[in-house]
Amino acid sequence: MPLLKLRESQIMKIHYLTGICAVFFVAIHILFRIGMGMSFNESLEFHNVVANYHNIYYVILLELILVFISIHGFNGLRIILLELKQNQWWESTITILVLAAMIGVIAYGTRTIIIGSQL
Amino acid sequence: MGIKPNSENNSSTGGDIRIKSGREGLMGWLNPTRYGWERVSYWLQRLTGVGLLIYFIGHIYETSSLVNGINAWNSMLELTQTTGGHIFLLLVIGASTFHTVNGLRLIFTESGIGIGRPGRPDYPYDATSLNYKQKSGIWVALLLATIAMLYGGMVMFGDVN
Repeated sequence: MPLLKLRESQIMKIHYLTGICAVFFVAIHILFRIGMGMSFNESLEFHNVVANYHNIYYVILLELILVFISIHGFNGLRIILLELKQNQWWESTITILVLAAMIGVIAYGTRTIIIGSQL
Repeated sequence: MGIKPNSENNSSTGGDIRIKSGREGLMGWLNPTRYGWERVSYWLQRLTGVGLLIYFIGHIYETSSLVNGINAWNSMLELTQTTGGHIFLLLVIGASTFHTVNGLRLIFTESGIGIGRPGRPDYPYDATSLNYKQKSGIWVALLLATIAMLYGGMVMFGDVN
């Protein structure tokens, strides 16, 4: 079953793009932990983390990281599993399971971001 | 001389690997011994990728304790902000740096950059695509991963902010 009727070449372009974008977004995410004039441990204190979640740009960044890494990571897992075995049933099953897991992780992470920004 | 049948080729190269239906499965995927650094890089890219995906899911679960208030958050920190937790984080830093740099090498390779010009296959049949640029890329990925781990160690265990 084709993944959302996309060709594998198109899926690989999405894979590479999400990977490159994720590197930049994660670098900014790490800067919030070690580059804000406080130590790594201080930046993880509850009130500092909640303050991060009240910054709308940081919230958008977190959501982008969540979506991009989920797409990149779960598609990477799909590629690995399809390298191990190839037949119609396996490919369809893996594609559906990976999509379901990806949607589940994005939904759970989004829930944390939404509730966290309202604390 | 000549090409051996597929079954003989498999048995002469497989070592301890049990081959069924012409497939080596997971053990064939993990076996780096018949190939060079490119094969090591191939499975390191996959192992670090799977490891980082597991960490990512764990990190989302860890962070979700925020919504249960300060006590739940501090309890989670007590589990993760330990020496063992920091060593685990160092491995994550190394894995993510290697995966990133080696991934960029693979994107360039797939775009045809750095694989050289096609040439006549002469003995000992070294592939022109597996050239010094590719090998250097793998070494650079390993070197940068080590540097990133050292810096991460200084941040978590030392005084670097």
